[in-house]
Amino acid sequence: DVPVLISEDIVISQPAKILNFLRKQKYNADYELSAKQGADTLAYIALLEEKLLPALLHTFWVEAENYCSVTKPWFASRIPFPLSLYLPGKMSREALNRILLTRGGPPLYSLTEVEAQIYRDAKECLNLLSKRLGTSQFFFGDTPTTLDAFVFGFLAPIYKVCFPRIQLQEHLKQLPNLCRFCDDILTCYFRLTVSGHSPAGQDTADANLQKLTQLVNKESNLIEKMDDNLRKSPQHPPRKLTTLKLAAGGQESSPLNRLSP
Amino acid sequence: QAFLQMCNLPIQVVCRANAEYMSPSGKLPFIHVGNQVVSELGPIVQFVKAKGHSLSDGLDEVQKAEMKAYMELVNNMLLTAELYLQWCDDVTVEEITHPRYGSPYPWPLNRILSYQKQWEVRRKMKAIGWAGKTLEQVLEDVDQCCQALSQRLGTQPYFFNKQPTELDALVFGHLFTILTTQLTTDELSEKVKNYSNLTAFCRRIEQQYFEGHDKDSSATVAAQSAKRSLLR
Repeated sequence: DVPVLISEDIVISQPAKILNFLRKQKYNADYELSAKQGADTLAYIALLEEKLLPALLHTFWVEAENYCSVTKPWFASRIPFPLSLYLPGKMSREALNRILLTRGGPPLYSLTEVEAQIYRDAKECLNLLSKRLGTSQFFFGDTPTTLDAFVFGFLAPIYKVCFPRIQLQEHLKQLPNLCRFCDDILTCYFRLTVSGHSPAGQDTADANLQKLTQLVNKESNLIEKMDDNLRKSPQHPPRKLTTLKLAAGGQESSPLNRLSP
Repeated sequence: QAFLQMCNLPIQVVCRANAEYMSPSGKLPFIHVGNQVVSELGPIVQFVKAKGHSLSDGLDEVQKAEMKAYMELVNNMLLTAELYLQWCDDVTVEEITHPRYGSPYPWPLNRILSYQKQWEVRRKMKAIGWAGKTLEQVLEDVDQCCQALSQRLGTQPYFFNKQPTELDALVFGHLFTILTTQLTTDELSEKVKNYSNLTAFCRRIEQQYFEGHDKDSSATVAAQSAKRSLLR
């Protein structure tokens, strides 16, 4: 059952339980959200699970070409023999089962009708996410939260995996703010260079990184000398990390953002 | 019902034992208008909108996205929890659901049909991962959902301030049912009662849209005897 978090001797599976565990260890990305924003997070996660997940499961596990050429070899290569012969097939059957039980049924009688409906729903969901994100960097302003992690988790596979049948990816590429959102998180948190998607080349990215690193060092010295009145709030979230906000186009002075890990 | 009342459309509620079979999608509720039959809230809202009545025209794009997200939250958590409680909790199944579901039919049909439905619902629960949940975990989820709804509602009269939308109708439908249905324990309705703004919300909608219509509606006897009131 993936994803699984292994911390010392403790093994936890399922995203909800992993998040609870991390919160108990005082890692919380939603620390600065209002109650209403917390409620919005739950609602949007439900939207993702109901509308986007079936199509995602279908693209990965049910669509024959995708499954045979990409998903099955990929998963089989990481599972020890002889489970690699059995598990991918089981996961594929479970995915189809889930799609049919939750979305199949009258008036949709054939698999093609169900497929058409779930892709329609998924595209609508992507449109809704795009409208909600608008021009902000993350869903609740300038710092990422649990919702951003969830959305990224759903979008990144659609965006990045090279499948033969890619109708969902094509739709996603028509929503530039969602693509930019994925790219930002990939570069900030996964340290992958965004080849072919951003206008700036590798050299400019390196130069920007150097400039920003120098700025961070300067700013962190300044903060230590700053007055209490200039600080935003007296209460600091536990275990904060200072990090960079990568500005597109290489601006000179980017403001520092404090992110809870 | 709440949605149609909010749109100010005249309706007549009728109870039938074979309602699930009459519905084109097998799910309830459905409406029968002229020679058309439309089932489930989503399509009914679309149908009514096509005829020129809509509750969410005044919302901007971001608000509409939010409304859809909250409707999915209600479907995802409240509806699934209601199904779980009715069909996967053994005590409730034995004492309430089997007798109620099989009541229009003679023996042995009543037992066969309700076992069939139970098997169907349990299969679905297994597919989405709810079969492994205990009753406490399900109640926790209901509580989380109610907390989110309560926080979103805040002190406003409706979810999108002054005008009710289909989200208000959907939430009212579920919460009213939870609050007024007699089960073996009161745990589920207690979860909702913890949030005073939600109970006030239900009372307000009931008073505004259902009390006044009682006197001049042409509801059948069956529907009238099935009506319950929060104010009792």
